[in-house]
Amino acid sequence: MSDFYLVFKNMTRKPLRLFLTCFAIFIAFLIFGAVTSLKSALNSSVELSADNRLVVFNRINFTQSLPIAYVQKVAAVEGVKHVTHLNWFGGYFQEPSRQVVSMAVDPESYLKVYEEIVIPEEQKQAWFNNRQGALVGEKLAQIYGWKVGDRIPLSSNIFSHKEGGYTWEFVISGIFKGDTEQYDTRQLLFHYKYFMETQTFGGDWIGWMALTTDDPAINENVAKTIDDNFANSQSETDTSTEKAFNKAFIEQIGNIGLIIFSVVFTAFFTILVVVGNTMALAIRERTGEIAVLKTLGFSSTRIFRMVLSESLLIAFVGGLSGLAAAWLLVEGVKTFLARFLPNLILDGDIALQAILFMLLLGLITGLMPAFQALRLNIVTAFNRQQ
Amino acid sequence: MGSLIAQIVSVTLMNLGSLRRRLWMSLAMVFASAVVVVILLAFLAMAKGFEATMSGAGSSQIAILMREGSASEINSVILQDQVNLIAESAGVARDTNGPLVSPELYVIVDGLKKSTGTEANIPLRGLNETGMAMRNNMRMVEGRMFTPGTNEMIVGEGVLREFNGFEIGKEVRFGKNLWTVVGVFSTGGNIFESELWADIKIIQSHYNRGNSYQSIRLQLENDGDLKPIQETIKREPRLNLEAQTEQEYFASQGKQLQYIATFGWIISSVMALGALAGALNTMYTSVADRAREIATLRALGFSNFSAFCGTIAEAMVLALAGGLLGSLAAYLFFDGLNTSTLGGSFTQVVFSFEMSPDLFVQGAVLALVIGFISGFFPAWRAARMPVVVAFRHAT
Repeated sequence: MSDFYLVFKNMTRKPLRLFLTCFAIFIAFLIFGAVTSLKSALNSSVELSADNRLVVFNRINFTQSLPIAYVQKVAAVEGVKHVTHLNWFGGYFQEPSRQVVSMAVDPESYLKVYEEIVIPEEQKQAWFNNRQGALVGEKLAQIYGWKVGDRIPLSSNIFSHKEGGYTWEFVISGIFKGDTEQYDTRQLLFHYKYFMETQTFGGDWIGWMALTTDDPAINENVAKTIDDNFANSQSETDTSTEKAFNKAFIEQIGNIGLIIFSVVFTAFFTILVVVGNTMALAIRERTGEIAVLKTLGFSSTRIFRMVLSESLLIAFVGGLSGLAAAWLLVEGVKTFLARFLPNLILDGDIALQAILFMLLLGLITGLMPAFQALRLNIVTAFNRQQ
Repeated sequence: MGSLIAQIVSVTLMNLGSLRRRLWMSLAMVFASAVVVVILLAFLAMAKGFEATMSGAGSSQIAILMREGSASEINSVILQDQVNLIAESAGVARDTNGPLVSPELYVIVDGLKKSTGTEANIPLRGLNETGMAMRNNMRMVEGRMFTPGTNEMIVGEGVLREFNGFEIGKEVRFGKNLWTVVGVFSTGGNIFESELWADIKIIQSHYNRGNSYQSIRLQLENDGDLKPIQETIKREPRLNLEAQTEQEYFASQGKQLQYIATFGWIISSVMALGALAGALNTMYTSVADRAREIATLRALGFSNFSAFCGTIAEAMVLALAGGLLGSLAAYLFFDGLNTSTLGGSFTQVVFSFEMSPDLFVQGAVLALVIGFISGFFPAWRAARMPVVVAFRHAT
């Protein structure tokens, strides 16, 4: 009779209890997997930002604009490799609820600063040469079923068109990908010049600038030089790394995220405690049987191993199935949520973390009873039964 | 009948009396239900607090007009002549000074959040005396009103709670402009308390806005009656505006947090399933533990039904204890917890979690349901088990 057979028999002797225990663990890890994926999706913009990229905003707030003349001055700062400027368009497609992340940019310099953008050479040239051309990210094109060559109307909830109305027409010159799967490609980029010439107000203003430095080590120096340049001017600037900016932006969403995650994690651990308690009790109940096994000549270490492997087995059966369900769930809602959370994936890190918790659950719930079994005195055990 | 009740009471008391012997299992049951209640209440309290902040702001007597197509104030642009046209429209309430119309403009400025020490968006709203008077739940808590034509501003209580450096007398610098805080106002806990207010003319000139505005607030002659205004807009091609009552506007702005509340419901119900499995397990174990005790009772002539009720009562008492513990924890940790998040207009909305009595009731009901379900099946099994089998099993 192999040990595994005994472990298995022990485990399944009360099928209902086994089912309930595994189910509770299943649920706990299902939620753990799903919520952790959600959390890392929210933080992904911070992880993905380039080290040597800086952003320059108006000091008052990032919604205030800057004069376009600043671009040349920034380009002249030592250590700045490429600089480009962007305008937030506030675009939507047909309905105000179908928002499109769209920006008016200077095409050549934009592609130099955002090197992650991958686009076929002929589409790139086509975009450069067509004033009305727009570059669309792969995911965005998928959402609305846009193809290269399509003419699409895009409305702005901020600007109005010279010829009346708020709608601009663009021709899709190219569809870009990111160099990694997580790169957010739900964007639309179009020519700043076309935008400037056709809008009714705004003049020569830009939203903000993005630049790359020669080396991440000089980031701080470059940022300081830029801000000093514009100190005491009508529009003072605030330069920070893209990473720091994205982080600050996510923090604006606020403590809410933190509160939700801490509540869910507390719940996760409490469920594990409750389940662990029953698992430990289930083994303690069998003190008498363990005494019998010992009497039969099973060595203490062998029993220790058997008890421990039983609780580990339960933890992993419940936990892994929960994790698998979480993966299915995340994969299932991924396309549906792509508009809000482009980077929702349950990756290796999260899975590893979950497996670590399963191991911990199995060990903690198994070790105590296993130790007791190890040290169990046969005579007292038989006595206790009476 | 009387004896049945007496039986149930005595079995219940006996079960409760012996709880101490099954301390760990009982605690597990209490914890399991406490978790579910805490999660549920946390989400509900958050949704409730946000809702109170949003809906408290919306009056059906006030209409808000923005450029058509712009989803929120920040995106809208309105010019002076449009304001003049609207002021002459039918359906606008008037007093001795003329029509009650308030053109408003705001810019987004940065403030330092107390909780994280990072910068976050606060709206700096410019309005005139009519606009101030139209917010009739607004009152000064401390200090005085700003003097028109100066760089003075008053701050909402919410801003004061969540951000550093806006105390009375402090000077605040936004870009090149230095502002002085001269007063603190309250609007009864609604969204306007997340704002800074100053004179509209000064904001227009400091931020190069010429004679433009973002929204027009006006008092309606008849409560909720937008028709005359909408007719004016339709007739006059220069008015590319959209009118809605303030109530509708804030309701639509509050939508996104409702998603979080829904998310909370889903998570707490799924978690509840997990905790329920844990609780059921505990009760099964607990009943199995006492199989002989229950069999003895039944051998003594207690009815199956009283044994059944006794077990259910035990589970419900434990779950209720958990529910109370959970509500208490939720109350201690979450009630009045100040927080802020990015609202519909890209600016911070300051609000607090609100644990109202009806939330406690919901928590208690949920706990009782958990107790009932987790007690029912084990009790059913205990009551139906033949006495002889029970004795044999217990040894």
